[in-house]
Amino acid sequence: MSTSSNQDPRLTQSAASDTSLLAAHEKAAGKQADEKGNYKLLPLALLFGFSGLIFWAGTYLNRFSGQFSGKIFDENSHPSTGAEVVAKIDPIVLGKKQYAAACIACHQADGKGLTGVNPPLAGSEWVNGSEERLVRIVLHGLKGPIKVLGVEYSAAAMPVFGKVAGSGYSWSDEKIAAVLTYVRQEWGNKSGPISTELVTAVRTKEGDRKEWSAEELLKIQ
Amino acid sequence: MSHDTQEVSANDAHARGPLLLLLGSGLVWLVLSGVLALIASVQLHTPTFLASCAWFTYGHMQALQETAFVYGWLANAGLALGLWVLTRLGGEALRAGNWVTVGALFWNLGVTLALVGIVAGDATGHSLLQLPRYVQPLLLIAYGAIAVAGVLAWSGRRNETSYASQWYVFAALFLFPWLFSVAQLTLFVLPMRGVMQAVIAGWFAQGVFTLWLAPLALAAAYYVVPKVTGRVLPAYQFASLAFWVLIVVGAWTGGRHLIGGPVPAWISSLAIVACSLLVFHYLVVWLNLKGALGHGGAVMKFTAFGLLAYVIGGCADAFTSIRSFAVITQFTYFTQAQQQLALYGGVSMLFFGVLYFAVPRLTGKTWASAALIGGHATTAILGVLLLVISLGVAGWTQGQALLKPAVTFPEIAAATRPWLLLATAAYAVLLVGNLMLVVNFLQTLAAKPTVPAAALFQATSDIKETA
Repeated sequence: MSTSSNQDPRLTQSAASDTSLLAAHEKAAGKQADEKGNYKLLPLALLFGFSGLIFWAGTYLNRFSGQFSGKIFDENSHPSTGAEVVAKIDPIVLGKKQYAAACIACHQADGKGLTGVNPPLAGSEWVNGSEERLVRIVLHGLKGPIKVLGVEYSAAAMPVFGKVAGSGYSWSDEKIAAVLTYVRQEWGNKSGPISTELVTAVRTKEGDRKEWSAEELLKIQ
Repeated sequence: MSHDTQEVSANDAHARGPLLLLLGSGLVWLVLSGVLALIASVQLHTPTFLASCAWFTYGHMQALQETAFVYGWLANAGLALGLWVLTRLGGEALRAGNWVTVGALFWNLGVTLALVGIVAGDATGHSLLQLPRYVQPLLLIAYGAIAVAGVLAWSGRRNETSYASQWYVFAALFLFPWLFSVAQLTLFVLPMRGVMQAVIAGWFAQGVFTLWLAPLALAAAYYVVPKVTGRVLPAYQFASLAFWVLIVVGAWTGGRHLIGGPVPAWISSLAIVACSLLVFHYLVVWLNLKGALGHGGAVMKFTAFGLLAYVIGGCADAFTSIRSFAVITQFTYFTQAQQQLALYGGVSMLFFGVLYFAVPRLTGKTWASAALIGGHATTAILGVLLLVISLGVAGWTQGQALLKPAVTFPEIAAATRPWLLLATAAYAVLLVGNLMLVVNFLQTLAAKPTVPAAALFQATSDIKETA
């Protein structure tokens, strides 16, 4: 076999045939690390090193993964410590969005409804009056005659919006509070906000039930 | 088993046409990308250079040189050398050679169209995936045609045993279409929204290196080192574990490019951890192939340098991905230095090593000029060192300055300018070296064989156990 020194630099010769290369490495791959009880340092050191890397990797991931949450961008945060940043939602923005998604079809963009068919919200004594009644109307819906701003609506049919049985919308309490807060300050209405807690309390108290009638509501203050 | 002592056979002559087509087109792209890289590098410190022509502004040039380098040079050369190693170890003639030829023609047509498209302003804006979306399907199909030969060479191999080089080529052949098609689908056909795009682009860019180009380069190195040194690899029983660590863990390192960016923390953390686990892979590769160092000869010189760059680059990735380092290095020239160390210092240099070994066997001729080989080796090593060091220092300077609110951007630009000038010099040196390679390659092709191919090569002996 020639060494590299006396070779033509324009051509690097092979020092091993392909078949012997394959055969020898096939044998080397199957070699046991501890043949005849002779532990070799290299395989052991490599295995320990690899295990150490895996251990470090697991520890690091556990510490800095933010519980694999898609909302945690700071690797030092833990959801359990409450450091997770949840953006505070403006109820007016959410309420406007909810209104545009559903209510607008009947009550119209100007909140005036359609005279004789859909009652108005703008200036309505129901919207600006008792919070308890208002929450119930949206949570469970309303059926039957109702008088708004002096006009009789004989066949009002407010759908069920709450997270209750038979609801086509199943809006969360937060969304209902938001949409009510929105309509109570829009179109010249000047009433205070409705809290999510109040909606939750009413929903828990009343549970599942059929739509309210105006008479039933008037008994509630 | 009777061991062949003939170094070359009819199999090499059979593979000559398609594989030299791939290698030759790769070399054309290598020189073209060198010119483009030089222009882009000048524009980095002298922004007025070619600035009046919208087609040749920095954004275009950078995308052009990267595309020509990766999809022109590295892809062509990697596929050629990968297929060559597969056929050599398989012991059978290259099958579906016509598919390789047609695939190579269409692949290079696709790369040409891509460059024209980028000049016209159709680059996608994703690093290492700047190819305009309309040429991507063409490239995928052309790739498939070339890769068919690799699959046939593996499934129809004469020798039942398998060797590390074969695992790496085979994996690379299948992993690239996976990366490429998923990236096309989720970035362009049915684009994901928001931060997911950056995550996918990072995954693809890292995958192109870790799961495609690095395996091809490793396959080449795993073949050529025992062939030239004549020794069994010393830590070969760990080669398969190192292979699987690269394939399984490598895919998760993509988030490395997003550390410090607006992504969920776990994506970065997982990438950091994956980079650390890959250290085991680099360690085993080093232990197995370190015989290339100090052996002498052009093939081993390139291979040794490529091996060092690959291993050092991998360990540097692990260190700089750690957040306290990344806060300085991320989004600076330092990441460019890392990319050049990986793609040029690692993959390209390993390719060069095997290329110098393979071409005489494919052509049946010696290289035309020993001086050009030596010149290429010297310029390539000098160029890569200069390039990586200058970009690395520029990046470190830039990164530290960016963290100080009092330092203004013009001050940072002034501080990095000398290093960027040095990087331009490095690109020029690399270009000169690559021109030497191309001249030598063309002269070799044109030369008349003086002796029959079989007489050129000494009879090979059996490989020796390591001491």
